Amino acid sequence: MKLKDQFLFVQQNMKKNRTRVFMTILATAMACAFLIVLASVGFGLHKSIIKETTEQRIVTQIDVHGKEEGDGAYRPLTEKDIEALENLDNVKAVVRRQALFQEGSYKIGEYGSWAQTYVTHIPSEIKAGFELSAGALPEKENEIIVGYDFANSLVSENAKEEDMYDEKGVLNEKYKYQGDLVGKELTFTAKQWIDGEEKKKDISVIVAGIGKKPTREWVMDQNVFISQETLKEIEAFTGTPRGMMNDPNSGAQQVTDTDNHTFEEVKVYARNLEAVEGVTEKLEEQNYASYSVVSELKQINMIFTIVKAGLILIGTIAILIASIGIYNTMTMAVTERAPDIGIMKAIGANPRTIKNIFLLESSYIGLIGALIGTVVSYVISFAVNFAIPMIIQSAFGEELPEGLMFSHIPFILPLICIIICYIVTILSGLRPAQRATKIDVLKAMRREI
Amino acid sequence: MIKVQSLSHDFEIGRKGNKTIIPMLRDISFEVKQGEIVTIVGRSGSGKSTLLNLISGFIHPKEGEILINNKNVTKLSETKFADFRIEHIGFIFQSFQLIPSMTAFQNVELPLILKGVNEADRKKTTEEILTTVGLIDYKDHYPGELSGGQQQRVSIARALIVNPPVILADEPTGSLDSETEQELLQFIKNLNMELGITFLIITHDQRVAEIGNRTIELRDGRIYSPELSTKQEVLL
Ligand SMILES: Nc1ncnc2c1ncn2[C@@H]1O[C@H](COP(=O)(O)OP(=O)(O)O)[C@@H](O)[C@H]1O
Ligand SMILES: [Mg+2]
Repeated sequence: MKLKDQFLFVQQNMKKNRTRVFMTILATAMACAFLIVLASVGFGLHKSIIKETTEQRIVTQIDVHGKEEGDGAYRPLTEKDIEALENLDNVKAVVRRQALFQEGSYKIGEYGSWAQTYVTHIPSEIKAGFELSAGALPEKENEIIVGYDFANSLVSENAKEEDMYDEKGVLNEKYKYQGDLVGKELTFTAKQWIDGEEKKKDISVIVAGIGKKPTREWVMDQNVFISQETLKEIEAFTGTPRGMMNDPNSGAQQVTDTDNHTFEEVKVYARNLEAVEGVTEKLEEQNYASYSVVSELKQINMIFTIVKAGLILIGTIAILIASIGIYNTMTMAVTERAPDIGIMKAIGANPRTIKNIFLLESSYIGLIGALIGTVVSYVISFAVNFAIPMIIQSAFGEELPEGLMFSHIPFILPLICIIICYIVTILSGLRPAQRATKIDVLKAMRREI
Repeated sequence: MIKVQSLSHDFEIGRKGNKTIIPMLRDISFEVKQGEIVTIVGRSGSGKSTLLNLISGFIHPKEGEILINNKNVTKLSETKFADFRIEHIGFIFQSFQLIPSMTAFQNVELPLILKGVNEADRKKTTEEILTTVGLIDYKDHYPGELSGGQQQRVSIARALIVNPPVILADEPTGSLDSETEQELLQFIKNLNMELGITFLIITHDQRVAEIGNRTIELRDGRIYSPELSTKQEVLL
């Protein structure tokens, strides 16, 4: 018997019992939609978290915190380490920064600001992607580079408390620094407690260039990069490494092991995302403590793989329950059609053909159910993504992170569902189909079944 | 065409431990030659249907062998027998055994569908056969919308459609009135003469038995006057 004819047969049979078949398909569709929507939450949150993680950071960036030398303690990285890191395969650049251990106070005319101040290796910064939006790289000792948002952090000293910020927390226009910064002279004020008194020293610096706008809107770059020489000048005044401030109460100088040959912030940039894992492994081999998006992603992926598998498993239980319906429907179909099956067997229908017809019918129910379930789950998923943020917003008054997805249905998910559904329906249709082949011709023709 | 050799069959009744064996057929041997109409007569309960069911493969004999078209079908598996049946045997049943949810056309077409014949050929052959049995105007009627005689002709059409060399009929006129019965018998005779189809017909009715070239009588599970029994002798 041709497959096409078997198919027509099945369709006719299903039409005869439209209501029952419809209810069975409905149950299967509901189970499939349940599975897909349930698992889609796992997929959606996973996707959102991955997006968050990769967007917040540069994915090829690997933070190196220190090196362990057999004693379990990590020590800061030195020039030698930097050299070793630079010589690793697939490393594009090693950015290293030394932070100034006091709040950098900068002034231009009546405007002032505090900024995190660093000494950095400019060529590496440039290799890692550092660019200027204005000005040029520093050439003289007293030249500095300021971050893109540094200018906005300058506030007039005439600013009054009551109208300094508007209700949104934005600085009042009239207290903002308006001019161009490139080539302008700023005054850096170094501070130190000496004999219980706070002493100050002004150091004049000139803005050579301004960094480029950070790619993410919400990132503010207000850092200031000074030269090694300027740092020395500050250290000469404070008498401490990196301008570290003494305890105002003790008066005595503190001894620290910090010196100018170690780096607080070391970032290795891999050539591309694929290389990150390899570089991270090398770093681990050489006892560096490192952290990268990739290692974080690995953990996230593992957790979510487990979560998704669990959700799919729960969804599968729903399909198993629906399969009881399919089993029922098929058993009834076999019983109802027993006389017809008997006649067909009598005139020479192959038992295998009869089995195939019933298996075809149950898998047809399963597949239609799965397809309807898939369509429905896309609709539900869309509605969930649309409605839940609104509900949370109105209930808790909290704005959710933009682009947060509760439910995401990747192509693979309906595929998994359809495969599971197909297997389950074949299994549940197997026994009724087997029963159909065992129908006794004579009994069936005497209408005894 | 059909050769039955030393066929014996018992029925088992009851469950395990409390089984009763009812002897049914004993040492049945006969032959139906190509182009013959052979009738089997006997009282109700004499085992006629059982004999035909054995030949049809609906039940399996305890002893003996059955050859159809020179093929020993005694040990065929269910699947193999099904394939054999659809190629070589046509069936006519007392209660027609049409599928009620299918039209006359669909019922007749069914064996061709099962054989995997393509739709165009199916339609042509089915319409030809329906014309032969004179029911082409009723092709879209369901069995419930046809008279007994018409239904039996539909079932004959269904038996004929695969061109079987032999047709087995169990009380084919049992559900028909005598006038329709005569029509049907005439029709069978014509098929036998024109197409050379071999018939093995079971009946408890002597008038029906008359259309046979030969008649075999079953009594107490045995052939009453085997092989030699001719029509004349039975009538005497
Ligand atoms: N499956 C069976 N199990 C037990 N007894 C049966 C079975 N089939 C038929 N019989 C018995 O066998 C006898 C012969 O039946 P059957 O062959 O139908 O006779 P006939 O067709 O000549 O009237 C009957 O008495 C019937 O009760
Ligand atoms: Mg009988």
